[in-house]
Amino acid sequence: MGAPFLSVKGLSKSFGGLSVIRDLSFDVMKGTSTALIGPNGAGKTTVFNLVSGVYDVSAGSIALDGTDVTAMPSRKRIQAGIARSFQNIRLMQHLTVLDNLLVGQHVSASGLVDLLQPFRLIPNHRWIRDAMQELEECGLQKYAHERISSLPYGIRKRIDLVRATLAQSSLLMLDEPAAGLNATETEELKLHLDLLKSRGVTLLVIEHDMHFVSAICGHVVVLNFGEKIAEGSFAEVQTDAKVREAYLGTEDAA
Amino acid sequence: MSGYHLGLLVLLSFNVIAAYAVYLPLAAGQLNLGIAGFMVVGAYAASYLNNEMGWPVAGAIACGGALAAAVALLVAIPILRTHGIYLALATFALGQVIAAIFLNLEVVGGASGYPVTAHIGAVAVVGTAVGVIAFMALLSTTRFALYLTAVKSDPLVSDLMGINIRFIKVAAFTLGAAVAGVGGGLYAHYFNYIEAQYFSVMLSVYTVLYVLLGGTQTVWGPLVGAVIFTLMPELLRASAQWRYALFAIFIILFMAARPQGLITAGVGGYLRKRFSREAV
Amino acid sequence: MIAQQVINGLMLGGIYVLIAVAFTLAIGVLNFLNFSIPGTFMIGGMLSWAMLKVGWHWTFAFSAALLCAAFVGLLVYWLTYRPAKNSDPEVPLVSSLGFLVLVENIAIIYLGSDQQSFPQVLADFNMRIGPVVIGGAQLISLVVSLGVVFGLSIFLKKSNAGRRIRAIAENRDTAALLGVNVGRLVPQLFVFNALFTALGGILFAISYLQVSPFMGENLGFKGVSAMIIGGMGSIWGAIIGGLLIGLVEVLSIQSLGSDFVNICVYGLLLVLLIVRPEGLLGKPAARDKL
Repeated sequence: MGAPFLSVKGLSKSFGGLSVIRDLSFDVMKGTSTALIGPNGAGKTTVFNLVSGVYDVSAGSIALDGTDVTAMPSRKRIQAGIARSFQNIRLMQHLTVLDNLLVGQHVSASGLVDLLQPFRLIPNHRWIRDAMQELEECGLQKYAHERISSLPYGIRKRIDLVRATLAQSSLLMLDEPAAGLNATETEELKLHLDLLKSRGVTLLVIEHDMHFVSAICGHVVVLNFGEKIAEGSFAEVQTDAKVREAYLGTEDAA
Repeated sequence: MSGYHLGLLVLLSFNVIAAYAVYLPLAAGQLNLGIAGFMVVGAYAASYLNNEMGWPVAGAIACGGALAAAVALLVAIPILRTHGIYLALATFALGQVIAAIFLNLEVVGGASGYPVTAHIGAVAVVGTAVGVIAFMALLSTTRFALYLTAVKSDPLVSDLMGINIRFIKVAAFTLGAAVAGVGGGLYAHYFNYIEAQYFSVMLSVYTVLYVLLGGTQTVWGPLVGAVIFTLMPELLRASAQWRYALFAIFIILFMAARPQGLITAGVGGYLRKRFSREAV
Repeated sequence: MIAQQVINGLMLGGIYVLIAVAFTLAIGVLNFLNFSIPGTFMIGGMLSWAMLKVGWHWTFAFSAALLCAAFVGLLVYWLTYRPAKNSDPEVPLVSSLGFLVLVENIAIIYLGSDQQSFPQVLADFNMRIGPVVIGGAQLISLVVSLGVVFGLSIFLKKSNAGRRIRAIAENRDTAALLGVNVGRLVPQLFVFNALFTALGGILFAISYLQVSPFMGENLGFKGVSAMIIGGMGSIWGAIIGGLLIGLVEVLSIQSLGSDFVNICVYGLLLVLLIVRPEGLLGKPAARDKL
């Protein structure tokens, strides 16, 4: 079985008096794809924020590949191997696609020399080549010099994903990567994720699209009101009574 | 070149240097309303080293810049814990305190001003301005410049990408102060006289205003802003007060209609493609 | 003669209170650091002087100044606040600085850059309380400014309009959804603010008998400091801050000489911004992790 790659134990988070996550524990095995699902407001994005360090935990621990990262500053977590995409995309509007990707590369170019190199003057610089290569693999290279604000939603969503993958991190957390995508785009996304899985990346995905979840993820954790109510394979979770109750009236089970 | 035109070029050079001193922190989202304070430090330090201790002018001015940077570094760490308007106000207060301190420092003349012995010519001033422009243009091709914009655009994401936001902000602030200090030292040695009253908060305000007019999205914006601010009265043949009044109207209208300034990333992109090469 | 200095400090403080309250209203309700406030303060003083010089009766002169200030306040709303709803907060700040520069220079152009002595409008009388002398005009000034501020405080707490204003302060969009006529109330706030500060300028003029185009700059920046020290968004904070700054200024002139005033006042401001940016009575500023 092996040791879990991401291990969340007794995780709790409160804002003021409001308890948002309660005693949450789950493990993600290396190289697997796990889905984090639950009705709106269940706390899924909050879990991402806790794991990536945007919020401090109120209680509990988070460990990555055996190392306790609970107190690690958010800035260092990408170095430790945790990268993420965002529910509302959060690309830098006034910058080009390429510039956004260059920012995403920071973790592999974080030395002082890297910071001060006049890299834009150097023809065919490695960083630009690498970013373009990632874009080519997704067929998005023609957007490289476009400003984010001028691009349609579907493209921006995929660029957000490409940015997250540039760090070549071991744990990739994707927050609703399929939201708002049409059928073709969703297929392309699935292919992209398959590619990442073949590279050995461990995925943790928040999603509402159950077809998508069942196609991509082998393991599912179900959240409701900040607590885990079920965990297991998609088939197991699909038939769980508590899960059906949580989703009653709001989703058809696939 | 006539004396009049030369004088104009010198004035433009000083304004350009001041513009870039403000631009660096502003690109990272920090409004430095106390930039005049750092000019003051540079001016007095350079003059003192030259007058009293016989340092050569170039060395004294460089040291003035370094001293301004040191002061900035010292205050940056506490001040940059604040942000937004708190930061703007803190820098404003800092500028006032620095100017007030020098106004009372009898060893450098206090309120009656400080005469400076060594003189530098227009060539040195204009040359330095050109050097600053070149330096900024070079800096704009680095990751540091990219991260300034990133930190301003979305500090949360920048942090999650691993960028050390505190470092970037402190570096931008300190470097800006160094440039301001050098500008102050140049000013002191060109006009051979400093009075602390000149380096008032309004000087900082005017500088910030014309940098914002030019635009902070690209490295050419501050230059354009400085050019407009310097040449506008000449073109309008107006009195100093009318120049400021019209300039103020300009700013108000711009902030209402086009707050990103004249030179935006779109306009600058064309210039950048001419200036650098990117992989196809 | 500490007692006398304390009284003098409080008198001056009364003026700062008006400016600080104007700033704190703008910040608290509109999240807008309105640097045109020193400008309208100056208009109050300078325009009154100009009209008095031309021979108008003081009621008309003061009214003219107040009207002009109100007009400028509206202009600031239209050209600075309204267009900037979606921009960085620095944009309206800078634009309001533009207004300050504009009115200051217009004043210099039309009224000269010299300091002017303001004619005696109120009968010259002093009150003696023990060893302390209180100038009549200054006392009236203090009473008026504190009275107006208390009135404002009660108005905001008790009246319907006050409740609506506080709703806007909480969350403008929610307030609009709840039926508050934001589009009408906000310009009224701007006009009120301008009138308020212009009144301060007039009170300063009748108390200290001098005005200049730079009076806004000089006093306005100290007024901002008072606001911050008291705590942004808090009227009581502005009152305490204003009186405190007045005291610090007068006492430091007395003990250290006038040269050190700026160092003391702005030094205090700087330290406070670093150590306790929410000031004495403000809510703690949401400190980002970053």
